[in-house]
Amino acid sequence: MGAPPVISTAGLTKHYGNVHALTDLTVDVGPGVTGLVGANGAGKSTLIKILLGLIEPTGGRAQVLGHDIDAASQEIRRLVGYMPEHDCLPPDVSASDFVVHMARMSGLGHAAARERAADVLRHVGLDEERYRPMGGYSTGMKQRAKLAQALAHDPRLVFLDEPTNGLDPAARNDMLRLVGRIGSEFGIAVLVTSHLLGELEQVSDHVIVLDGGRLLRSSATGDFLRRTGGLLVEVVGTETERDRLGEALAQRGLVCRPRGTMVAIDPPAPELATEGVAHDLIRDVAADLGLGLMRLEPDRGHLEDVFLEGGAHV
Amino acid sequence: MSESTTPGTGRSGVIHDLGYRRYDGPREGTGAIARTLFLTGLRHAYGLERSGKSKVMPFLLLGMSLLPAAIIVGVVVLTGLRSLPVTYAGYTSQTQLLVSLFAAAQAPVLFSRDLRHRSIVLYAARPLSSAAFGFVRWLSMSVALLAFMVIPTLLMFVGALLAGLDKSDQLSDLYKAVVLQVFLAALVAGITGLVSSVSLRRGFAVVGSVMVLIVLTGVVTAVQNIAQSQGSDSVSVGAGLFSPWSLYSGLGNAWDAGTRVPVSVDGAWVPAYVLVLLLVAAGCVLGLVARFRKVGSR
Ligand SMILES: Nc1ncnc2c1ncn2[C@@H]1O[C@H](COP(=O)(O)OP(=O)(O)OP(=O)(O)O)[C@@H](O)[C@H]1O
Ligand SMILES: [Mg+2]
Repeated sequence: MGAPPVISTAGLTKHYGNVHALTDLTVDVGPGVTGLVGANGAGKSTLIKILLGLIEPTGGRAQVLGHDIDAASQEIRRLVGYMPEHDCLPPDVSASDFVVHMARMSGLGHAAARERAADVLRHVGLDEERYRPMGGYSTGMKQRAKLAQALAHDPRLVFLDEPTNGLDPAARNDMLRLVGRIGSEFGIAVLVTSHLLGELEQVSDHVIVLDGGRLLRSSATGDFLRRTGGLLVEVVGTETERDRLGEALAQRGLVCRPRGTMVAIDPPAPELATEGVAHDLIRDVAADLGLGLMRLEPDRGHLEDVFLEGGAHV
Repeated sequence: MSESTTPGTGRSGVIHDLGYRRYDGPREGTGAIARTLFLTGLRHAYGLERSGKSKVMPFLLLGMSLLPAAIIVGVVVLTGLRSLPVTYAGYTSQTQLLVSLFAAAQAPVLFSRDLRHRSIVLYAARPLSSAAFGFVRWLSMSVALLAFMVIPTLLMFVGALLAGLDKSDQLSDLYKAVVLQVFLAALVAGITGLVSSVSLRRGFAVVGSVMVLIVLTGVVTAVQNIAQSQGSDSVSVGAGLFSPWSLYSGLGNAWDAGTRVPVSVDGAWVPAYVLVLLLVAAGCVLGLVARFRKVGSR
C-alpha cells in the first residue's frame, strides 16, 4: 500500500433530470484489476465516461492517475485506454489498419504504431484474421479488436466496459484470463465492468459494487468471498431430491434455499463454520438420504446476495 | 486466489520475446495528432488507403472535370488563340455539377462513417476531443474540395503558359479563381459536412447534399433569371444570397473574375455576399462540431 490511487473520486454525482445515474460516489481504485459490478443502469458506464472527460459530472471531483478530470482530461486521455460496451468498429477496415490508426491517434509515430499494433493484436489473439475487414468478424473477434485498440498506445490504465458482453462461455473465459493478464503481467491497471459479480471475482483484486448509482460496497475480492461464505450443493435427481436434502440440512441447523436445481446454503453458524465441518455434515446427510452428491462448492456469490446484504447495511 | 504469477514479473524478466513489451518512445502532442488525422481524412476523401471500389467515384469525377480543361488546353495550344475561351473561375462554375457531386458523394466518408459505426467514441477517448475531430474533418474536406477545383485550374494555367498567353494576365486570373475556390470549398465542406453528420445513412446524406448544392442552386438561378427578365434587378441579386453557387458566381462577378450572373453584383451587395458566405460557412462548422461533440459523449 501507500501508492497513490489510480482513480479517486469524491462525491461524484451525475443526474440527468430525474434520472440519478450516479449519486455521491466516493471511492478509490488501486493498481491491478478492479471489477465494477452493477445491474443494468447502475451507473457503470456513466462513471467511466466521466473519468474519461466525455461527460461532465453534475457534482463532485475525481482524479485519474493523479490528474484532475476537470483540469487535465486531455492528459488523462493520453494515458488511458477505453473499450466501450457497444459496437464501435468500422466494418470496412481491417483490425490491423484500424489499430495502427488508433495508436497514431494516441500520439504514436507511424513505425511505433505499426509495431505496437502487431504486438497487441498478437496478445489479444487475433492472428490471420487481423488483415480481414472487421465487418466479417464474430462477436468474440470484435471484442478482441476493441480491446486491442484500447491497449495500442501502452496505456497505464484501461477502462473495459463489459468486455465479456455477447461471448459464449469459452470466449468469456479467454477474455477474463486476458483481463487478468493485463492487470498482472502487462502491469496496466484495469477497471472492468460486468453485471455478474461471479464473473469478475475470478480476475479482480478488488471489487466495487454499484446499485442505482450509489456505492454499495468496495472491498478486496478475498473479503467478498469470506463475507459470502455460503455453499452450493447439487444432488442427482429432480426437485424432489433437492427438497429432501434441503429439509434434512435445515433440521441439522443450516439455513438453506432452493436456487435452480441446487440448494444454496447461507454462511453457516459459528459452530459449523470451521473449515470443513459444514462440508462433512452435508456429505453425511446426503449419504444418509441415499442421494448422489453431484456438486459441493463455495457459493461464488450472486450479485443479488450482495444487494440483499448491502441493503441491510445501508 | 486469482493469479499464481506474481505481479510485475512480466515487466522486468525478459525470458522470451513473447511477453508484453512496454512502449517508452516519444508521444506526439495534439497538433501532430491533428495533422495525422487531417492527412488521413484528405486521402480518404479520394478513396486512397481504402478499398479499390472507394476510389472509383472521386477519380471518375475528377477525370470528368479535367477532360474539358484538357480539351481547352489542346485547342488553345493548337490553334494559337490569344485568350482562354473561359476564365479559371468561370470554368469551376461551369463544372459545378461535378464539384457538387464530389462533395455530396465524399462528405459521408468523412462525416457519417465514424458517427454511424460509433468509432467516434474511440477518438473521443483519445487526446484530440471529438469537437476538434469534427473541425479537422472539415479541414480535410475543404482541402479535398479545393484540390478538386484547383487541379483542372492548374492544368488550364499550364496550358495557357505553353500557348504563350500573357503570364501576368493569367496569374491575376488564377489568383482570383483560387481565392474564390477557397471560400467556396470552406462553404461547401461545411454544408455537406453538417448534412452528413446529421443524416448518417449514406443515401440520405448524399440526397441531402444534392438538394442543397444542386436543386437549391437550380431554383435560385431560375428565380434570378425570372426576376431579371421582369426587371427586378435587386430581387435577382438578392436571391443569389441563397445558394452556395450563386454566392460564388456573384462574388466572382463583383471581382471581375469572369463568372456569369443575370444581374451584376455591386455596391452594398458585395459585402452582403461576403458576409452571408462567411456566416453560413461558420454556422455549418459550428453545427457539425457541436454534433460531433454530442455524439462523442454518448
Ligand atoms: N444521456 C442520458 N440521458 C438520460 N439518462 C441517461 C443518459 N445516459 C445514461 N442515462 C441513465 O443513467 C443510468 C445509468 O446508466 P449507465 O449507462 O451508466 O448504466 P450501466 O451501469 O452502464 O448499465 P448497463 O449495464 O446497462 O450498461 C441509467 O438509468 C440510464 O438510463
Ligand atoms: Mg454500461
